[in-house]
Amino acid sequence: VTARQRYKSLFYALGWLIAAGIVFQIALGSGMGRFFAVVDERFSRIAQFFSSKQSTAIRTARQTSRSEYLAPLHTTLSSVTALRKPERMLFGIYDGGFPNTFAGMEQLEGALRYKFPIISFYSAWGDKPTQQFPIRMVETIHSMGSVPLITWEPWVVDFDERLRTNLKPVAEREYASLAAIAKGEYDFFLVPWAKAAAAFRKPILLRFAHEMNDPYRYPWGPQNGNRPEDFVAAWKHVHLIFQKMDARNVLWVWSPHISMPWFEYYYPGPEYVDWISTGVLNYGDIASWSRWWSFHQILEKAYPTLLRMEKPIMISEFGTLASGGDMTEWYRQAFYHVTHTYSRGVKAVVFFNQPNDITISPTYPLNWSVTQNNRAIEVVAQEIGRLSAL
Amino acid sequence: MPLWYDDAELLRHRRAAAARGWERWVLAVLIFLGVQSVFSFALWWFRAHHVNSLTLFVLLSFATWYGVFRILVGWYNLFHVDQPEPIAAPPGLSVAIFTTSSPGEPYEMFVRTLAAAREIRYPHTTYLLDDTRDPRFRALAEEMGAVHLELVGIPGAKAGKINAALERTSEDFILVLDPDHIPFPEFLDRVLGYFDDAEVGFVQVAQAYGNAAESFVARAAAEQTYAFYGPILQGMHGTGTTVAIGANCTFRREALASIGGHGIGLAEDLVTSIRLHAAGWKSVYVPEVVSRGLVPSDLDSYLKQQLKWSRGVYEVLFREYPRAFRSLTGFQRISYLMIGTYYLVGLTALIFFAVPVIYLWTGRQPAAFLLTEYIERALPVGFFGVAVYFFAQRWLCDPDRERGVHWRGMLMKMGAWNVYLHGLVLAILRIAVPYIPTAKERRRGRFARLARVPLVMLALSVLTIAWTVYLQLYVVPESEVLITTEVTLGMVTFALVNALLMSGRLYAAWVDRTRGGEA
Repeated sequence: VTARQRYKSLFYALGWLIAAGIVFQIALGSGMGRFFAVVDERFSRIAQFFSSKQSTAIRTARQTSRSEYLAPLHTTLSSVTALRKPERMLFGIYDGGFPNTFAGMEQLEGALRYKFPIISFYSAWGDKPTQQFPIRMVETIHSMGSVPLITWEPWVVDFDERLRTNLKPVAEREYASLAAIAKGEYDFFLVPWAKAAAAFRKPILLRFAHEMNDPYRYPWGPQNGNRPEDFVAAWKHVHLIFQKMDARNVLWVWSPHISMPWFEYYYPGPEYVDWISTGVLNYGDIASWSRWWSFHQILEKAYPTLLRMEKPIMISEFGTLASGGDMTEWYRQAFYHVTHTYSRGVKAVVFFNQPNDITISPTYPLNWSVTQNNRAIEVVAQEIGRLSAL
Repeated sequence: MPLWYDDAELLRHRRAAAARGWERWVLAVLIFLGVQSVFSFALWWFRAHHVNSLTLFVLLSFATWYGVFRILVGWYNLFHVDQPEPIAAPPGLSVAIFTTSSPGEPYEMFVRTLAAAREIRYPHTTYLLDDTRDPRFRALAEEMGAVHLELVGIPGAKAGKINAALERTSEDFILVLDPDHIPFPEFLDRVLGYFDDAEVGFVQVAQAYGNAAESFVARAAAEQTYAFYGPILQGMHGTGTTVAIGANCTFRREALASIGGHGIGLAEDLVTSIRLHAAGWKSVYVPEVVSRGLVPSDLDSYLKQQLKWSRGVYEVLFREYPRAFRSLTGFQRISYLMIGTYYLVGLTALIFFAVPVIYLWTGRQPAAFLLTEYIERALPVGFFGVAVYFFAQRWLCDPDRERGVHWRGMLMKMGAWNVYLHGLVLAILRIAVPYIPTAKERRRGRFARLARVPLVMLALSVLTIAWTVYLQLYVVPESEVLITTEVTLGMVTFALVNALLMSGRLYAAWVDRTRGGEA
């Protein structure tokens, strides 16, 4: 009898302990969240302090720095108004090593004898620390004299089911996610992000939910029941939150996929958009659905529509693979068209310096980097030199 | 000051406070919250995307979770904190006190110890197990009413002599008294009652030290023992895992006989107690100060003692533990495993030292999480660890003297990391601890030898930091420097902390440089 009673009480005690444990874990999760935010903020300030000291020390030691090289562009890059109507052509870079390393960017910049005024990287929505406002990255880009371009991807499935009990289960979340964003279901994430962006104060180019009209790409595409009006509503909602948080340093980059028809229905309207952007990537002959397209062939059809929106146009992902044609020639022609055919609209070109792109196939990575071809590098270096000297 | 210098106070009987009901509840709550913090820390730590360099991540995880696991088992043990009700010693037991003397041990020490042994109230016979071949010792034994046993040339050091003496004597109970301990008159009265239970094989009392104020090393060595003889051994009493510690343990002859005599080895006490437990004998821990002894007061002796212990403990882990495993209770299995792996701290310290150095020289990073995240997640675990540590100090044997942060003990433990690692290597290679002559050495040489490890580590840290500053100023691309600020800052801080952890040993070596001629 005693043994049985003992097991019974042990069983109850265990039950209570587990219950109390769950309650405590939840309390720890939500209660500590606030504490973590404060600690994060403090630490980030300390890191920022050291970072600026490092920056000064390097400038003194090396007698040169990236931001000094970019000083002539400083007035443009530091002002939201000036960035809305840039006087000069701006070049930019996304590198596959971001945000862990800038080595790839340094290599390309060294090869081109040039420093890019725009530095582009990708940031996903979610609960992980790496998915919050990328303060380290934007601060670093700023202290290097460039302006950050953030492609902001609403991966709504990356919010933890256990923490976000008011959200739909992960499996159901992707369907009509843009409408949910428009309804304010993700404000818990948007508000702190917008606040942090506002606190940064320096200009940020924000490219939210890019290629929203492509049903073969991202979960926020039309295949998941996201209609154009849902996208526009989501965009306006996100924009409104940023206005409320006083994030006037954010420039809005609207970025459809121009190979898909009717992308113009996704346009939120001139008062919500500062830049229009699109990728111009030539996949060459690597797949059945692709062939060697020149820069001009990719852009020409959509260009008049984009131009009518009367916003500066950015080629936000610019590059070609090597397979199926002549890379050097591709870049030569691209520059020709940028400076002649499209000079009225195109105001920025961002190199897609990703030597290891696995979005199409993880086993067959694609190399988008100019650095794989010495002749191409020379052509690009000459063209950039010519254009940036204007 | 009077805390450590008043002899009358030092040589007074004390007993640790018993745990009260509400204290157990507070402890339970603290431990519960602590376990939950560990749980949430673990859920966060072990995520696939945290792995950066796999090898380094595995090593860092081992070092971190070895420490956390020890904390958990420590809490589990502490939760059972308990002490036996005093039982009056029944009259008429036959009791022997064994104390051993070896060549080179100071004569004066035996004068004090044997005189104190004579004053122990319960009727007993004191035996001096002597191999000094020094006629003064024989005369002293006779003068102090002790029996002199001439035991020259017996292998197995102290334990060998004890076994030889067991053959020549017949008392039912044997107190093994270290000659550097001064027993109080009530010693046997506080101990013998527990043998009423025929299953009790040995009774251990607390070890307290009187010379903690003598030097930094002595203070540190004493600090390392406080928690053990206070709350920890009381927890072990509660789980039936009290171990025999060489000195001041009283054995039942029958128990020793059942395992073929006292165990032999560098950790002869541990060998004996694991064998006794395996043979089914119970043990009792009496949290009372009934003697005061000496801790090593100079660095050289301290490090030699630590090497001996770590080598001996590993021997128990590798040889005795597997043999005894089947016969031990569940608690005892855990307990002896924890004791056996205690000195792995030498290995984990090496890992912690290596991580920042490897990163700053090669850029290889074990984990992909941010320093801030790590601090945030580890903070609750650390908080409850410290809270429990301080809360449990109410169960120290001599709280007035022993309460505190015990930072000296921690520094000296970290400072001796290479000795513990050495012990592990020797145990794996089955090399006996080399005999290090205790003859006086030249002072200058002494500092260089004792301070070599901390100095090398200090130099390595300074060099690493200087190299990092150089790279950052002139070589590494600006962007790279700026994006890695947090990691660099964190790793440089770790390197600095590691260098600082060596300060205790360095200081001790520096002090011994001028004190070296004494003793």
